[in-house]
Amino acid sequence: MEIDREDGRTPNQLRPLACSRNILHRPHGSASWSQGDTKVLAAVYGPKPGTRKNENPEKACFEVIWKPKSGQIGKAEKEFEMILKRTIQSICVLTVNPNTTTSVIVQVVHDDGSLLPCAINAACAALVDAGIPMKHLAVAICCCLAGNGYVVLDPNKLEEKKMTAFAYLVFPNTTLSVLPEVEGEPVEHGIITSVTHGVMSVDDYFLCVENGRAATASLSAFFRKHFQQSQGPSSKAG
Amino acid sequence: MAAKQRDAATTYSPRIIARTRPPIFKDSDLDWTRPDGRGFHQCRPALLQTGAVSSASGSAYAEFGNTKVIVSVFGPRESKKATSYSDVGRLNCNVSYTTFASPTLGSQGTDHKEYASMLHKALEGVIMMETFPKTTVDVFALVLESGGSDLPVVISCAGLALADAGIMMYDLITAVSVSCIGKRLMIDPVTEEEGCEDGSFMMTCMPSRSEITQLTITGEWTTPNINEAMQLCMDASSKLGDIMRDCLKQAASASDE
Amino acid sequence: MGLPDSCQDLSTEMEVDAFRRLFPLRFFERHLSESLRPDGRPLGKARDTNVNLGLVSSADGSALAKIGSTTMLAAIRMEVMTPSTDSPDEGCIAVEFHMPPICSPTVRPGRPADEAPVISKRLSDVISSCDMIDLKELCLVSGKAAWMGYLDIYCLDADGALFDAALLSAVAAFSNLQIPVVALNDNGRIVAINGDGEQENNASITEKEAVNKEKRKLTLKNIPFSLTCILHKKYILADPTAEEESIMDTLVTVVLDSSDQIVNFNKSGGSALVGSSAIKSCVELARKRGKELKQILGDMDID
Repeated sequence: MEIDREDGRTPNQLRPLACSRNILHRPHGSASWSQGDTKVLAAVYGPKPGTRKNENPEKACFEVIWKPKSGQIGKAEKEFEMILKRTIQSICVLTVNPNTTTSVIVQVVHDDGSLLPCAINAACAALVDAGIPMKHLAVAICCCLAGNGYVVLDPNKLEEKKMTAFAYLVFPNTTLSVLPEVEGEPVEHGIITSVTHGVMSVDDYFLCVENGRAATASLSAFFRKHFQQSQGPSSKAG
Repeated sequence: MAAKQRDAATTYSPRIIARTRPPIFKDSDLDWTRPDGRGFHQCRPALLQTGAVSSASGSAYAEFGNTKVIVSVFGPRESKKATSYSDVGRLNCNVSYTTFASPTLGSQGTDHKEYASMLHKALEGVIMMETFPKTTVDVFALVLESGGSDLPVVISCAGLALADAGIMMYDLITAVSVSCIGKRLMIDPVTEEEGCEDGSFMMTCMPSRSEITQLTITGEWTTPNINEAMQLCMDASSKLGDIMRDCLKQAASASDE
Repeated sequence: MGLPDSCQDLSTEMEVDAFRRLFPLRFFERHLSESLRPDGRPLGKARDTNVNLGLVSSADGSALAKIGSTTMLAAIRMEVMTPSTDSPDEGCIAVEFHMPPICSPTVRPGRPADEAPVISKRLSDVISSCDMIDLKELCLVSGKAAWMGYLDIYCLDADGALFDAALLSAVAAFSNLQIPVVALNDNGRIVAINGDGEQENNASITEKEAVNKEKRKLTLKNIPFSLTCILHKKYILADPTAEEESIMDTLVTVVLDSSDQIVNFNKSGGSALVGSSAIKSCVELARKRGKELKQILGDMDID
């Protein structure tokens, strides 16, 4: 039943989380987010007037710029940009600031697995810091499927390589208020974004979704605690 | 040899590309035939079709032997690069090749700047630019497979696509090329013939008005040869014009039903 | 403009086309409530699909796939490379997806479409992760030479469900692939021994044995098929057109392999969330679609 992890975690245990906001002066909002050794810095500029070509000017528009730790931006980073952009668009209220563009710049500081989920969490914290109107937060998690059918959460790079398949899942954060249910399920059970790599059976996918969903509760709690804490003392910045 | 990086791994095609002249083309040998068995003054069978791309205002597909081309026309639409007001329309052309268009071209399917400007020059004389002031008509061509006489096929196909898009023109536009090898003139050359030609001649004209919008002659040509080539092109153009007209009529009657 | 009530009164006197342009979402929702789409399809049905093989004579394998009016042309060119030291007897497949300016009014020359690299990446992920091709079959001389397959997919007409059509054309192109017969010449280079230009080669090759006499076709072990669905409120629309994609923004792409395992389950953002029941319905639709596509590819092989 038990599965050994190099760093002695249990399968469902996340790496230590750390988040700090308002760390950069020039952007309107910024945050750094780390999960273990994976660390991502996100900065938000905007909303700036005008939208880019091919975008709907009746809505707020977002652009995401992915800065890898080193080297040129490749196809993988382009895919991350697109996923991040779509995810942000789905959690933000787009009708408040029509015909504006908000830039989200994501700088990878260190990649030790679960990079995209980490970046999504960082971007989310930075958007909150910038005061962009949002419907709810998004919490992202990487679920790995080990060869023997177990699900391992928040893998580091070494584990990611060994796994047969993995899924990046993004859920809405768990809310304290009562929301209407969607098709008999609470809203936070719906998936905002799902990206998978590798072959897995349908049941395994559901296993991933279930485990990931359970883990997002603790991530949501961390978000909430952090925002409540930093609201008091750091309000001097605003 | 041992430590080679994956990134640095270069590849090559196992096919050997003949760069020398094929021995069949010799001045002394008068009995030679063209690689595809055509007569010297005979064009390749042409397949033309309009409406190849649903999202474009107008489009056409042309297949002349192995040369396969798709042209899409967008617009008239808002000018992207326009800096100043213009009371005539603008024309924007682009010609690109697929990476597999020809085995000799290598893996780089790229924009062909020269052909794009030639296409622009060939078309600008035939389009009534004053009918769409302030806006741009985009003519984009993709050469799926290159089998010789690419530019004339692109131009003819573009003419058909423009007609399909309902852009006002003085006439249809057709382009035909002729290669000169030794004393022989051959119309609508294929790649092998183009590779060993002494001179090339391309004419773009409006077949019903017998007016030329573009004429390029390169290489060695004598005056009688030029006259002959021009006559050949005129004849071929009017035939091609008829085919294009039939194609447009067919498309129109199909949409009526 | 755009108030939900204002269009209610207008709709009675407005022409259908004008209504479609002004209130696209309303237009679609009214169709959806009748379980029908504007093009006459039921919600779960994909558009007519057909595949043609071997259209590009300059490539070693090619296919044209059409789903509705979305058209993809895929071609494979085989070239020789020196395999890397950590996998000396494996070849390689390089996938590139192109969106030339002809395919859609939103693509302009000189500025590649945002979607193109993303689709490229997902295609190569799917092709490599589902073990469709055994890279060992691409080996020519262990450690010295292996095939590098360049798969280029051109979108000729973009009308929605681009990934589905691109994957279908890629699979069909691999099934059409004829690996050229080659031999090793004295200089250690691999050369083709039939087809074009054989008389140019030095005589030494003709005596040599072909390296890959029996390996002319790749065995496709596990074929992935993909289906894109739109989620909108309680409706699930299979195989959307470009118009539908632009109006309703929640897209789910499911790729299943021959044994109905999930190769890729992709959803990026969108206004709707997917719950378990929606996941199940999408997978079920993808499974049905996979059967359909298998049939289409199967019919083609007989001809």
